[in-house]
Amino acid sequence: MKETTRRDFLRQIAIGEVAADKTLVCVFLRGGADTLNMVVPYGDDRYYKLRPTIAIPPPKGGAESPKGSAESKDAALRLNDFYGFHPMMQPLLPLFREGRLGIVQAVGSDNASGSHFEAQDQMEHGEGAGRTIGGGWLGRHLRSRIGHNLTPLSAVAIGPAVPESMRGSPTISAINSIDELQLVSAAADPGAVKTTLSALYESEAGLLYDPGRTTLQLLSRVESLRAQVYKTENGAEYPNDDFGHGLREIARLIKAGVGLEVACLDLGGWDTHFFQGATGGLQAAQIDLLGRGLAAFDEDLKRWRDRVTVVVMTEFGRRVYENGSLGTDHGRAFALLAIGGHVNGGKVHGQWPGLDEDDAGWLGPGGLKVLIDYRSVLTEVLSKAMNNPRTDQVFPGFKPEPVGLV
Amino acid sequence: MNGKRRALLKSVAVTASAAGLTGCERIISRVTGELGQSIPDRIMVSAGERIEPDFHLLSRTTYGVWPGDLDRLRRMGREAWIEEQLTPETIDDRLCDLRARRFETLWHEPGTCYEYKKPVLREEITRHTLLRAVYSRRQLFEVMAGFWTDHLNINLEKGDCIYLKPSDDRLVIRAHSLGRFQDLIRASAVSPAMLVYLDGKENVKNIPNENYARELLELHTLGVHGGYTQDDVYEAARCLTGWRLRTRWRKGMVQFDTELHDDGEKRVLGVRIPPGGGERDLDRLLDIVCHHPSTVRHIATKLVQKFVAEDPPTALVDRLAGVFTKTGGDIKSMLRELFSSPEFDIERGTKLKRPFHFIAGCLRFLGADTHAHRPLIEFLQRMGQAPFQHPTPDGYPDEAAPWLGTLLWRWNFSLALAANQVPSVRVSIDRLMSAIGGPPYSPLALFPWFTGRQMTDPEVAAFDRLPKGSRERNETVVGLILASPAFQRY
Repeated sequence: MKETTRRDFLRQIAIGEVAADKTLVCVFLRGGADTLNMVVPYGDDRYYKLRPTIAIPPPKGGAESPKGSAESKDAALRLNDFYGFHPMMQPLLPLFREGRLGIVQAVGSDNASGSHFEAQDQMEHGEGAGRTIGGGWLGRHLRSRIGHNLTPLSAVAIGPAVPESMRGSPTISAINSIDELQLVSAAADPGAVKTTLSALYESEAGLLYDPGRTTLQLLSRVESLRAQVYKTENGAEYPNDDFGHGLREIARLIKAGVGLEVACLDLGGWDTHFFQGATGGLQAAQIDLLGRGLAAFDEDLKRWRDRVTVVVMTEFGRRVYENGSLGTDHGRAFALLAIGGHVNGGKVHGQWPGLDEDDAGWLGPGGLKVLIDYRSVLTEVLSKAMNNPRTDQVFPGFKPEPVGLV
Repeated sequence: MNGKRRALLKSVAVTASAAGLTGCERIISRVTGELGQSIPDRIMVSAGERIEPDFHLLSRTTYGVWPGDLDRLRRMGREAWIEEQLTPETIDDRLCDLRARRFETLWHEPGTCYEYKKPVLREEITRHTLLRAVYSRRQLFEVMAGFWTDHLNINLEKGDCIYLKPSDDRLVIRAHSLGRFQDLIRASAVSPAMLVYLDGKENVKNIPNENYARELLELHTLGVHGGYTQDDVYEAARCLTGWRLRTRWRKGMVQFDTELHDDGEKRVLGVRIPPGGGERDLDRLLDIVCHHPSTVRHIATKLVQKFVAEDPPTALVDRLAGVFTKTGGDIKSMLRELFSSPEFDIERGTKLKRPFHFIAGCLRFLGADTHAHRPLIEFLQRMGQAPFQHPTPDGYPDEAAPWLGTLLWRWNFSLALAANQVPSVRVSIDRLMSAIGGPPYSPLALFPWFTGRQMTDPEVAAFDRLPKGSRERNETVVGLILASPAFQRY
């Protein structure tokens, strides 16, 4: 019999926090994002030759422009002597300069099908081409951490459905808002129901005592969150759309201490075959949402930066040359973004694959050549930012290469 | 048509469409209800101070006590009841069939399912499994089918498994759940779904793929510390080379390709397999591994953990291992020994229901009417136990620890179900209450039905904390009983 008084139990419910040391936020850009116009290789002339109408102009003053020089809405924002941000990524520029945002160039999978469905599935399952494992990479990550204080909110997907990457997770919550996390009692007053449940679990002598307490704790925390209007910190302003709301809900959950370990969020609209646009246009609008959203998230969670890592990925990049409809077709490698206190930021990691003489990396149906397997990046994120020593269980049979991102 | 009849039909139509039922499902619900798949007028309740042995037996060998089950067990006597459950073919299950047999993808040859879309296949096999668990009168058979489904886990989402698992469920798991262990493993070894899931179909002469061979030894037979070496895995893989899947004509059917079979001499666990065995190498290998002392112990241990305790009493494991050896791996004989053991009888209410068991159990204890539509499946998914979705070959864990983060969803499911708020599921608490009879203050009367015992003083005190008004509402009380720690255990 546990020696805990009723008052202890109630006090723990009232104030206790469920520790999740680290939270990983996965943003998936659905549709195959053209990262060549987001992290612009302005130092390579061929980028401009192959994109006569949709290229992003080089930074004002070119490669020699000093850091912090006048930023323009119609030119790339200088990151280094070779790369610049799309002007709509401006909100993320300080994160890059302060070393919290890192980029890995030429990341991708070995899936050459060009199918959104296949490439997304393979990547979310964390597989190599033609070799399926079962479950998603985040699901396996969480399973490899069983016994690690999992709560109903260890894995949260913002949206209507559980993403493939979370399949096989020990618990999954697919929610649109934190408001869905409550005791729903149609028949009776939820307060009365909670009181009774609390008394029932308090009298529990066995293995359900702790989980009962943890769950009631979590409900109290979420309830008190709901009771107050959420105020972002440091003046952070999320974009007023689904993506912005989703990020805000994730920030609330992180601050609430409900044991959130993995959160997934999608941003669609990247399949830009037609009228992609350049510094303005369809893709620019998505980049704007992404940039403002991530910057607000970073600002809002200033106090939590050491605990939170954001990874932004997509199923494949797009071809280097523009097509006949002022857009781009499906390519291969993309630039992956990561934000967080553990990230080696302020750098573009990995090689620029476009420099081989035979243009094999540039042209043809393949698009930009994949130089870094996405699983190497994710292995590094899980082992170093999330402290998972069992990444061999997450990507069985895969030999990761060091990337240096984390 | 007279007005009354029209009004009746209209109300039926409205109710049915609100629940999202098809016309066929409406009729099935009506017919099965009329024919006895409902709550009897009067049912026996087990209401001792601690969980009574009969309730305990039902609790551990079924997915939950259906109203009237306890009466039947008492009438038949324990031994006769166990014997009946061990010979499921003698139990008339037509009412369950009416609900569960109509999913056609479950009845095809391996391969025919390629003509269906994935969501249809996923939905049918998932609903079929849940409906059988809730409505079958062959409950022990269903529990064992679940046990072997975990033991020989296949994830629908890997490769082509979703097309091939329906026939695996029928021809491997359900065909041998209460049969002979080696027959089960033999069927699984050449099951198209397993050949895909553990890459057996890629395992060919000179470039063996060891995936299946390794799991065969590590998970299906000897167990992780079963005393085999890396060489044994390699040699076992060689024995298994050449079992392929057809890819064009009769796609999905298994064939043995002599050309791709390694026909040299092998040595597994110290036993020599002479060269030239061809496809008989499979049976020679299984003769060795299925009766190995480590296998006997591994299977005996898992059965005791499943039915008795996570920390299995050694003496019982020894006896079960003895039965395995004596009977050549007869699963029924092992279960017979298990359920009549004093160890089984002692461990009452100590195991945690996994989410699938919990949901099926809620539905059974309430005698619910459902056709297992999406809302139920979504609850299972939230709690991490949707059927056939476990990613890795070890199957959903039987231990309690991995499931302890699911309470919030269990509570919400309990409260919603009892208040008839789970779409497409109907329960009648009033009917249950009247069948139970008893005192007007409902927690005292209702609690024993769900838990097999009276409430303890702290439990009584907990329900006393419900404000007046809520306390008298049986749907609130039942919701809380289903959400209580006592009901999470079995």
